[in-house]
Amino acid sequence: MDKQTLINEINQVMIEGFELQPSQLKPEAKIMEDLELDSLDAIDMLVFLEEKIKIKVDAETFRTVKTLEDVYNVVEKVIQDSNN
Amino acid sequence: MTQQKVFVTGTGVISSLGNTVETMFKNLIQGKSGVQTMDDWRIYNGLNSLLMAPAQPFDISAIPRKKRRSMSRMAEMGALATMTALQQAGISGENPWQEIDTDRTLMIMGSTTGSPKTLEDHFKKLFDKGGPESQTSTAFFKIMNHSVPANVAMAVDFKGPLLSTGSACSTSSQAMIQAWELIQAGVYDLAIVGGADEAYYTSAAIFDTVQAASTGYNDQPLESPRPFDRDRDGLVISEGAGIVVLESEKHMQKRGATPLAEFAGGAYLCDGYHMSHPIKDSMIHSMNLALKRANITADSIDYVNAHATSTVLGDRQEAQAIGSVFNHRPPVSSLKGHFGHSLAACGTIEAISSIEMMNAGVVIANRNLKNLDPECESINALAENQEGRYQTILSNNFAFGGMNTSFILKSCQ
Repeated sequence: MDKQTLINEINQVMIEGFELQPSQLKPEAKIMEDLELDSLDAIDMLVFLEEKIKIKVDAETFRTVKTLEDVYNVVEKVIQDSNN
Repeated sequence: MTQQKVFVTGTGVISSLGNTVETMFKNLIQGKSGVQTMDDWRIYNGLNSLLMAPAQPFDISAIPRKKRRSMSRMAEMGALATMTALQQAGISGENPWQEIDTDRTLMIMGSTTGSPKTLEDHFKKLFDKGGPESQTSTAFFKIMNHSVPANVAMAVDFKGPLLSTGSACSTSSQAMIQAWELIQAGVYDLAIVGGADEAYYTSAAIFDTVQAASTGYNDQPLESPRPFDRDRDGLVISEGAGIVVLESEKHMQKRGATPLAEFAGGAYLCDGYHMSHPIKDSMIHSMNLALKRANITADSIDYVNAHATSTVLGDRQEAQAIGSVFNHRPPVSSLKGHFGHSLAACGTIEAISSIEMMNAGVVIANRNLKNLDPECESINALAENQEGRYQTILSNNFAFGGMNTSFILKSCQ
């Protein structure tokens, strides 16, 4: 999966899972402050990502995520690691 | 200390016959049924009852996502009915609680269980995954025992005392009676009260398993249930929410709220005898205690709103109990033939319907009553709507676990 396809998939998770508008999904958008997600949403995001992209992101790793771009990068790294 | 009189100042419903009290009552007057055949249920092995009365479609998009995400269908219905009831009671707008002392306001409501659909989803995933992997964060908030009141409180920004009642089909009647006790005693001034339940095939299966569900009319949904009728064969599950605002007379007058009816008293008793076998002596006990606590004599009851779910045994026991308590043969009807059985919601939905009957001067007939069961002849079971002056009503609700509840409403007109 190329990076743009991955970004599109993750954005789709954000739209379907958290009722966000595409215009809100800027890479620099802060998950908590700008997108107004909270700790419960973060747990669900892992579940939705697993269902949509078939990857399992470790909750501990996910705690470092601050922006949407961080999500893209963490998921990309998990996919790369699983391919190695 | 003088005991406070308690009044109903707001009502809200989501039901199989409409999501406003006005629509619901219009459909009751017209003798309509909310029952449908559930063709989707034919896939379930061992399920013999394929009838259900779903709530009318509703829209919850006005509730923000973060409040909605932990709501099951039953909590959604509870929230919408509560909003309607609070609005009618004059507790709405930008700061609905500004003029209310919420420390002296009780929210008391419940459901039979947590969401059966979420329970199934949760445990299916648990078993499929071999453990709790990949569960969503909100599943538990849809299945915990106080899921309905906790979610409703969030939906209406209520910050105050909260109690969850859970006694299956007597959940909301018990909640009303408990609220009446506490307001009457001066513990609270106001209460937001009721019950909600969602219909799912597993709920139908519970009744089917104990041979209490209708199975002989699967392809004739309008013919069942049929309370007190000779050819009844069991209950049909429904769903919905019924919420009332109960308020002390003093508090109501201070706020300038309008009374819809007086909640005059009630009783909730356990028969300590059997989990599912209805027994008339305990029903008689419940009705007599309700009359005593409301300080009302049996002969002043103008109409009895029966629980009668259309089971062979339950309707007979209730008819004989009513016949024993009321020598003057007041008109009797059950609304289960119209709504189906909305489980935890039925007590308040039937209370609201009874208030509408008193205020409209007409009591609703039993739907599908063509031939009265000879063993129910001790009551005046209505086969046609009957106009008249109905000032005082007694309503019954009974439940698994040997629960028997009765309460009394008085007209304010």
